[in-house]
Amino acid sequence: MNNEDVFIIGHGMTKFGEHFDKSPSSLASQALMETVTNAQLEKELIQSIFFGSLVTNTNSQASVGASCIRECNLSIPLTRIEAGTASGAAAFQQAFQGIRSGLFDCIAVVGVEKLSDFVNSSTIEKILGTTIDYSWEFEMGATLTSLYALLTKAHMKEYQTTLEQLALVPEKNHRNGVNNKNAQFQKEIPLERFLSAKRISEPIGRFDPATHCDGASALILASSEFVSNNLKSNDLTEVLGLGHASDHLALHHRESLTALSATQIAAKNAYDMAGISSADINVAEVHDSYPIGEILAIEDLGFFPKGEGGLAVEEGKTKINSEVSINTSGGLKSRGDPFGATGIAQIIEIVEQLTGQADKRQVDDHNFGLTQNVLGTGAMAYVNVFGKKEVKK
Amino acid sequence: MEPPKIWREKRQRYLGIGVKCLDCDYKAFPLTSFCPSCGSGNVQEYKLAEKGRIIQFTQVNQTSNDMMANVPYAIGIIELEDGIKVTGQIVDIDYSLIEIGMPVRMVLRVLSKDGTEGLIKYGFKFIPVD
Amino acid sequence: MSKVGIVSYGSYIPKYRIKTEEIAKVWEEDSKEIVNQLQVNSKSVPGPDEDVITMSVESARNAINRWGGNVKDIGAIYVGSESHPYAVKPTATFVAAALDAEESLTAADLEFACKAGTAGMQMCFGLAKSDMIEYGLAIGADSSQARPRDPLEYTAGAGSAAFLIGKKRVIAELEGTYSLTTDMPDFWRREGAIYPSHGNRFTGSPAYFKHVIEASKKLMEQLGSRPSDYKYVTFHQPNTKFPLSAARMLGFSKEQIDLSLVCKEIGNAYSASSMIGLANILNYSSPGDRIFVTSYGSGAGSDAFSFLVTDMIEEVKSYPLNVDYYVNRKKYIDYGVYVRFKGVLR
Repeated sequence: MNNEDVFIIGHGMTKFGEHFDKSPSSLASQALMETVTNAQLEKELIQSIFFGSLVTNTNSQASVGASCIRECNLSIPLTRIEAGTASGAAAFQQAFQGIRSGLFDCIAVVGVEKLSDFVNSSTIEKILGTTIDYSWEFEMGATLTSLYALLTKAHMKEYQTTLEQLALVPEKNHRNGVNNKNAQFQKEIPLERFLSAKRISEPIGRFDPATHCDGASALILASSEFVSNNLKSNDLTEVLGLGHASDHLALHHRESLTALSATQIAAKNAYDMAGISSADINVAEVHDSYPIGEILAIEDLGFFPKGEGGLAVEEGKTKINSEVSINTSGGLKSRGDPFGATGIAQIIEIVEQLTGQADKRQVDDHNFGLTQNVLGTGAMAYVNVFGKKEVKK
Repeated sequence: MEPPKIWREKRQRYLGIGVKCLDCDYKAFPLTSFCPSCGSGNVQEYKLAEKGRIIQFTQVNQTSNDMMANVPYAIGIIELEDGIKVTGQIVDIDYSLIEIGMPVRMVLRVLSKDGTEGLIKYGFKFIPVD
Repeated sequence: MSKVGIVSYGSYIPKYRIKTEEIAKVWEEDSKEIVNQLQVNSKSVPGPDEDVITMSVESARNAINRWGGNVKDIGAIYVGSESHPYAVKPTATFVAAALDAEESLTAADLEFACKAGTAGMQMCFGLAKSDMIEYGLAIGADSSQARPRDPLEYTAGAGSAAFLIGKKRVIAELEGTYSLTTDMPDFWRREGAIYPSHGNRFTGSPAYFKHVIEASKKLMEQLGSRPSDYKYVTFHQPNTKFPLSAARMLGFSKEQIDLSLVCKEIGNAYSASSMIGLANILNYSSPGDRIFVTSYGSGAGSDAFSFLVTDMIEEVKSYPLNVDYYVNRKKYIDYGVYVRFKGVLR
């Protein structure tokens, strides 16, 4: 093992969904303690924690990190990271940097969001408004959904992507999610249901977007030295590459409406760092908050040529054990989207796949996995590449 | 709704005031104190073209309460005649009649109302040019 | 010495209309009888995102664009309305900002029922004539409210008109103005009340007709003019019948007033009513034409004006966004949509 290697040594999450009876910090604590148990570790060995969450101004989530470490009886450095709907991936990358820099040997990452408290959809729309250009998109009348509708229409116009191809994305993800016990919706939804639903922002239908829910997810990252000193032999997930790039916040400032350049750049950086290419990836969790999100992702990550994402979905090339298995967990769509917890839940799925723990969702080839987590309409994208490593003592 | 924010954005929202670089001629919206392209501080206010064309559009059915009075409404990206693109509502036309490429012009409308006692926010929207 | 007068004008009428017959249907009234009585076929309805501020700005921009001068030369902006969006916070300051006419000017909102706009014109004439300002902008705008089922519901419309007043490049010289003012409880709305109340038939002869007729007669007396000296005339238009009757009583012909009667299609635009009438007349005027205008505002008062159209009219007449454009730009809506647009549902 190289000194610079960073491993994921534990993971855990709550079920995603409506936890009306739980506070944000109790969800976070539950995920963290489950992760400690999963890592077979004394919790006192954790040296620092990064929390990823989006909502700040209400429902006690602002101090969620402080409440969580008190509940877990820890007194260690904690930092809260906000990167909109990509806060989980942002917190993860900070933790990676903490270990890679040599400052820490063992860091926990917790993503949490508690959205069921906002019973008025107006509040959620305002929160989502903070993930787009608040002054010059949201206040001018645009919403996150409407901007994704523009991205969808642009792709349909440019590449003849069809409504059927788009609807096949959530249809597939719901099928995958049936076997994910932590998913909010563990049931299939027939294609026809997506196609016949009322359009909420033409051409986006009522059942197309991922739901905004509650949940927490956690990981523990450790250095190779820490792994040697504290863990028994095990199959571990190694973090091979990271990419993080940004783009214009407002869609109207972007050069293209048919690609997310932040994803393209972040992916290139992550592949370069890992020393692999898109063709090596067996399984990927991508940001399918809207169907076009997954189609853009599989193109921008290099799995399929630009413009052929819809066709790839239609031809079944993204199903489990096909060309590349996309969103085996069920994705944001079936798992539910508690913003800050999503990016970490994506990584958990890849950890389970690479270490052969994905049960009925397990893919046959599982050497390399990838996650892609996006802020808003793609103003920031985080791409992470993972590999498996057998650690022997 | 924050009074200082409404105040500092009024020229941009009522008049479509952006910025023009006197060194490299780059034009941008919204207003900045330096050129977003070359970084020069030698910039001046610039009034956006009032007419443009619809690049892409859709409909909004759900938003925050202060804007719900206008729902459903059309929203789109408009490319103005000076090449600058902005996001804005397309009003005074049936949604089914809106087309990509349609010429539009700026008008001043109510963007949102903070309940019955708070401030009313005004800003530019677009109507078809006939 | 150059005379003070109108330098430019602009109007605005919202796109939406509701037919008299559509309102009558809701209340199971005889629409033919109502149309016959009021001679109003439809009224204008502001969109859900329109109010007196947005309409004032659109008419003011049309006046400025028609003129083509420097907005910084405007020394006064007055907006007359009985439906200012804010009880405290002037409409006039929004207009100044939206025209880029800040900061060296005076501004105020006026309220005098349906004649606050012409009161603003008088103030601008006075300021410009005395050289206290170079140009003044007087706007009349309303998005009037009417209690559902009240007879007013058939006519309470919306619109705006703006007049730029000064001494340079005058298109219509002011020959004279006279105002008649009395205290009169014919129509009112208390602070905080949503809908106005009125005195039904009491709003007729002792109110509208007394003020309009006497103010008009007095001005013609002062100027030594007669109805036949005028090419066109316009009065406040609460409906079409009232101004037609006033014209007849004063000795104006139907031909003289016909051009101004936009009320038939847009209803009563309140503070903008007689001003939109004047704006439409100017679109059709030729040099040498004389125009007579008398507004009426409940409470009560009338402002009468006599104008002489100059050669300069030819230079501004071709501006395309005129009253005809806005009258013809229309979409009829049903009562349900009307109720939603007016924000009646709470």
